[in-house]
Amino acid sequence: MTSSETVSGPAPSPPPAPGSDVLLSVRGLQVHFPIKRGLVFDRTVGHVRAVDGVDLDVRRGQTYGLVGESGCGKSTFGRGLLRLEEPTGGSVIFDGQDIRSLKPEALRLMRRRMQMVFQDPLASLDPRQSVQSLLSEPLTVHGLSTADAEEFGRDSSSSHLAKAAAMLEVVGLPRGALAKYPHEFSGGQRQRIGIARAMILNPDLVIADEPVSALDVSVQAQVINLLEHLQDLLGLTYIVIAHDLAVVRHISDVIGVMYLGRLVEEAPSDDLYAQPLHPYTIALMSAIPIPDPEIEDHRERILLRGDLPSPANPPSGCRFHTRCPYRQQTRCDTEEPVLRDLGAVAPGRRVACHYAEEILAGQIAISDPSLQIDPVAG
Amino acid sequence: MSETVTLEPGGRRGRRATREPVDRHQALLEVKNLNVTFQRRGGRATRAVDGVSFSVKPGEVVGIVGESGSGKSVTSLAVMGLLPSRGVQVSGEALYRGRNLLTMGNQELSSLRGRDLAMVFQDPMSSLNPVIPVGLQVTEVLRRHEDLTRQQARDEAEDLLRRCGIPDPRRRLGEYPHQLSGGMRQRALIAIALACKPALLICDEPTTALDVTIQAQVLELLKELVSELGTAMVMITHDLGVVAGLCDFVNVMYAGRVVESADRRELFAHPRHRYTHGLLNSIPRLDSPRGEALRPIPGTPRDTIAWSKACAFAPRCQFADDDCVVDDLELAPLGAAGHRVRCVHPAPEEDK
Repeated sequence: MTSSETVSGPAPSPPPAPGSDVLLSVRGLQVHFPIKRGLVFDRTVGHVRAVDGVDLDVRRGQTYGLVGESGCGKSTFGRGLLRLEEPTGGSVIFDGQDIRSLKPEALRLMRRRMQMVFQDPLASLDPRQSVQSLLSEPLTVHGLSTADAEEFGRDSSSSHLAKAAAMLEVVGLPRGALAKYPHEFSGGQRQRIGIARAMILNPDLVIADEPVSALDVSVQAQVINLLEHLQDLLGLTYIVIAHDLAVVRHISDVIGVMYLGRLVEEAPSDDLYAQPLHPYTIALMSAIPIPDPEIEDHRERILLRGDLPSPANPPSGCRFHTRCPYRQQTRCDTEEPVLRDLGAVAPGRRVACHYAEEILAGQIAISDPSLQIDPVAG
Repeated sequence: MSETVTLEPGGRRGRRATREPVDRHQALLEVKNLNVTFQRRGGRATRAVDGVSFSVKPGEVVGIVGESGSGKSVTSLAVMGLLPSRGVQVSGEALYRGRNLLTMGNQELSSLRGRDLAMVFQDPMSSLNPVIPVGLQVTEVLRRHEDLTRQQARDEAEDLLRRCGIPDPRRRLGEYPHQLSGGMRQRALIAIALACKPALLICDEPTTALDVTIQAQVLELLKELVSELGTAMVMITHDLGVVAGLCDFVNVMYAGRVVESADRRELFAHPRHRYTHGLLNSIPRLDSPRGEALRPIPGTPRDTIAWSKACAFAPRCQFADDDCVVDDLELAPLGAAGHRVRCVHPAPEEDK
């Protein structure tokens, strides 16, 4: 957190040069899944546009939080970055290299620097592997990092064991855990193992997909603190994907809000809470319950009508216009808004809404008053 | 959605007239010293619920908050008589209008369940029957408890789905659960629970499987119900945010026992039990200043000592000492009226 540097001015549009402040630069990333029909001949009858043109930059040492509801494509985006799902368009520039053009062997080597923490630790840890085997597997594949090789010696089962034991200690588990199996641990401990496995190669970028949502409430804080501690210790860059905006806001420097495969708003995390600009973010913020009755009673709420439209057939124009409480007669349903810099109105922020300035200035009111719920008097 | 729920009490034909009038000041459901023990043959008994007492008045929302394994769902299942009969011992009382639900015969209970008492379950996919159209599952309740013809029941069901905010309800009646989205399935489940306008509604994590914007819609629907119909509601959840916005009175459960119970404002302003206090400090809040480290509770909810009269939270509590392990702890009044805490070393009142 502390290592994040402030860089003046908006993010440059062309991908930055290698060695710059930006570690990961994504331009127009698309992940489309074909919908197939037919028994004998597979006809492609359409595409589910899970991720449909996302641009973002992640700076070194920063935490980029990605939020959105289920089905908005945030997990697919994370997997697309690592080519766990093959992107169908756009580019992913990691430290000056285009991930999409890498040959298999080059990609394998690159993955040492990009690791992932998954949501459900029980599903992502092989139940038949001991913790020692789980933790040393990445080392067997990639070998110890150069820094670790100096500390623990050349690659061998004993140096791998020493590194695994050291890593366990970092994530707060006893050395005795090495001989145990995933089912012997609680949810929080399992997630610590998943984190240790991702960090053991000393990666530069860690993508955490819903790292705490499967955990008990009282255990979530432990894992969040651990992730922050490891970032300070190892100088990591994070992309945290979660649906819980409170968690994301707590650990992120910059937050991107996704809706139906697109980024609709991007802002420094404090600004996003203080003044959400996109109508979807405004509604999302007002829907999140805050554990304080005083605030809950005096908060204005905006309800969204209906469900998320199908990503196979997204609405025309602005994808949010079917549910938008601020929808206008013109442009919203015909013209697709681009993620644009608001410039002087809100520096450092990007919004995909035609009417963001007008909404911010209070010139556009909510069209249907029944969607707005005023606080209870008293 | 404000126009969606205009369920006026009464005004429908059938057996509705036979139901007793509602006294707004008397408790509708009174649970006294509820105990549930699970036992497998040859195994040790597990006390899932231990001496839980609470009461609900008409038009009131009582929250039961706790983490997984704290016994909150077992409490609701026991009250509804939905626990299996083998291997389970239930003792205590659950008085609904003075009649004990726990000792009631099956037939009598069946006539109450679905009509006077209703329940909304957490996971709509597993609590709706996947091979029966949604419409049939809604009309089933209506036909069981009200003297309606098939056509009347169908019209009524359509009306219900519409009021619960399901668009195009006539088409939805013929569809199967997998054809509905998660939010719509939960609404269908709520529609089934509301079909006979129950006097008491138990909601077991009704919004946990839903996205926040859909959660807001569903919570708003439930709020309107309580205020318009005077339904008494028991809200079971692990989300303190939901509790803060919805419940009038809150019971916090830990390891099968109520450890703190208070009026909602009192509980959040002055949490006294060390568990509640720690939990409120450990969750990241949307409105809290950033950069502040969270103060987590050490250990996991499973780190409890074998059942005894002592405080179950003691192994994770930084204020625990010998008294906590020895003492016979009861839920005792502390501070403001109605605030009760089961703790030897409660947090000081001003310390939020």
